[in-house]
Amino acid sequence: MVAESFIHFALQRLPELGLRTGEHLMLTGISTAAAVMLGVPVGILASRISQLRSPLLGTAGILQTVPSLAMLAILLALTGKIGAVPAIIALILYALLPIVRNTVAGIEGVSPATLEAARGIGMTGHQQLSMVKIPLALPVIVAGIRTAAVTGVGIATLSAFIGAGGLGQFINRGLALSSNHLVLLGAIPAAILALIVDFSIGAMVWGLQARRQRHFRPKARLALKTLSFSLPLLVGLGGVAAYMWGGTWGRAPVRASEATNQVPQITVVIGSKNFTEQLILGELMARLIEARTDLSVARRFNLGGTMICHGALVSGEIDLYAEYTGTGLTAVLHMGALSDPEEVFLRVKEAYRKRFSVTWLPPFGFNNTYAITVRDGEARKRGWERISDLIEPASGLRAGFTAEFAERPDGYPGLQRVYGLSFGEVRDFDPTLMYEALVRDEVDVICAFATDGRLSAYHLRALEDDRAFFPPYHAAPVVRNEVLDAHPEIQQALAPLSGLLSNVRMQRLNYQVDGKKRSPREVALEFLKSHKLLNGR
Amino acid sequence: MIRLEKVSKSFDGGQSYVVKNISLEVAEGETLVLLGSSGCGKTTTLKMINRLIEPTGGRIEVGGRDVASLAPALLRRRIGYVFQEIGLFPHMTIGENIAIVPRLLGWDKTRRQDRARELLTFMGLDPRDFADRYPDELSGGQQQRIGVARALAADPDYLLMDEPFGALDALTRDVLQQEILSLKQRLKKTIIFVTHDIFEAMILGDRIAVLHDGNLEQVGTREEVYQHPASRFVADLFSKSAKQLAVFKELE
Repeated sequence: MVAESFIHFALQRLPELGLRTGEHLMLTGISTAAAVMLGVPVGILASRISQLRSPLLGTAGILQTVPSLAMLAILLALTGKIGAVPAIIALILYALLPIVRNTVAGIEGVSPATLEAARGIGMTGHQQLSMVKIPLALPVIVAGIRTAAVTGVGIATLSAFIGAGGLGQFINRGLALSSNHLVLLGAIPAAILALIVDFSIGAMVWGLQARRQRHFRPKARLALKTLSFSLPLLVGLGGVAAYMWGGTWGRAPVRASEATNQVPQITVVIGSKNFTEQLILGELMARLIEARTDLSVARRFNLGGTMICHGALVSGEIDLYAEYTGTGLTAVLHMGALSDPEEVFLRVKEAYRKRFSVTWLPPFGFNNTYAITVRDGEARKRGWERISDLIEPASGLRAGFTAEFAERPDGYPGLQRVYGLSFGEVRDFDPTLMYEALVRDEVDVICAFATDGRLSAYHLRALEDDRAFFPPYHAAPVVRNEVLDAHPEIQQALAPLSGLLSNVRMQRLNYQVDGKKRSPREVALEFLKSHKLLNGR
Repeated sequence: MIRLEKVSKSFDGGQSYVVKNISLEVAEGETLVLLGSSGCGKTTTLKMINRLIEPTGGRIEVGGRDVASLAPALLRRRIGYVFQEIGLFPHMTIGENIAIVPRLLGWDKTRRQDRARELLTFMGLDPRDFADRYPDELSGGQQQRIGVARALAADPDYLLMDEPFGALDALTRDVLQQEILSLKQRLKKTIIFVTHDIFEAMILGDRIAVLHDGNLEQVGTREEVYQHPASRFVADLFSKSAKQLAVFKELE
């Protein structure tokens, strides 16, 4: 039954599956090809000049130990872009080590007797390389390429964090919406793809070893050889075909900021972070702009976190997204936390205008601050109502926080300072898994969000912030001035949302997605319809 | 003709010499054996001739030209070389291995294949059976026959052989020595042959050069070195071997 419903689910999304698979293969293919063109010469260089060997291999080794998300964040900062470019660069950097290392190992594995013969019969240095060293090292080099390509298929799933598409997009979306089906829709094809890539490069290795085919007749030998070499090519072509079939090939959107006076399809790019509320807000804004202006909208949702969204906005990769005042104040502007919501909003508005040329439009209305949250049953039993009530039992409690909360000054460090709280154990969680962990009694305290639909759905209790520690986190659209100046209608289109979403309303919308497993798209549409906001201008 | 003139070699910047001031001449068509125990400098001397090792001092001429004035790769293609460790290219067929120097010299494919077949036949191996095999499918003796064929492929005037039978068993070695003997009579190449085996030297050498500790002790025909040893070392070398033979004589 489970398998059946999954297959049905996958069939419905077949065109997008094709597109994502194609994107995935292209990310992996382009990066592996580039890594080969870079890595093999570097490996040859390292094998020829022994002083270069350690530094080159060391550098490649260090690159590989950089955690994938950190690498993506660094490249985002360096290139100022989101999407395929930083993703491909990251994949190239990861692919370098196996390729360089195997090239060096392959060449150094050629026996000294063979090398002396190559020299002694009169080969030049270049001929020794091309006629002896490389052919003999080739199986080892290709094994390195195989490792790189297969790992690349895996790492490429993370590229979705910076909006590069690929199968990781399903996984991300699935994690954000806690939908196992979506996670599997990304993970299963990625695993199959890894096997296919592994097999097709394996076939190429077989094709390279001429002597293995000597048992076949010459005609069969040629056919087998051709087949073994064309397999990787076929996989690549299959990827392109899937991409073209599933996607909108070659229709690059005209950016709103670049082409203000042209009639055709001016596109506003809307971003979002990778959790439910952000997806709903993104969709609400997108629908309104689509319905109430002539602009078209490109959705770059599910970007992996505040810094990635902010970086994308500042570099012009996206035009707007929903940000929270408290996050802007502390995480982006690095200013001290404040408790007055009005003051926070004015400060971030002013600072964003000056520093980033970005406008904060009026807030949606709700305050999605952090809420120190426990299981309702336990709270009742132990008489917990306020955060201060946790001070005494803290050393015996297990806390589960998002990685962001554990580090932010307005997160756990500040909480420790203001309340003198110190939990016995602190573990980092993905936002979705954090709630699960609390419900399953794996942790006792989490940093929930005040508007999270799961608070009521899972019978959780948000404790009162009796020392007013958490700064206000009122959500509002942040828009690049360049876009807003060219298209003031964006502000008018979004105006109805201002003040419309109370904490309770936002909680309900979130619950529709998190609890009822409906799509953010559907929930947003229903909300806008019920408020009669889609009736055009 | 190959001429060595006061050639020396030091690997440690002049503190010690592996080859000390050696002068030698090898006439056209002659086979000279460099005889000595391991570490005496015989292989170093050989490798200086085709510039696998650069001499520290002295001058080497091949065919009347100073080798130092020739590009090493071009020089080496004109001199056949047979290696102690054979060194066939494992990824090439026997035919391709034999025809490698012609390939470097730019011969076309048909001519190279003809040449490889011709040499296989010459070495007593059936081309139909061997040309498409790979080196590791051959016995040691067969492999070194291919090594010799490879050295002969571009028909060089000179042949350098570095203990070519050192890694082979005694029986195979015997057979190959006989083959080289007949080959040398048929081909009239100028050959320098390095060995530590006195009997091999006596069988193959028109003249024998005895090296000891980097010094050239004596050069001469086998009668000369055996009957009129120029030094204590040469005398001891031959008398020891003669005693060994005497043991066999007693048994008869």
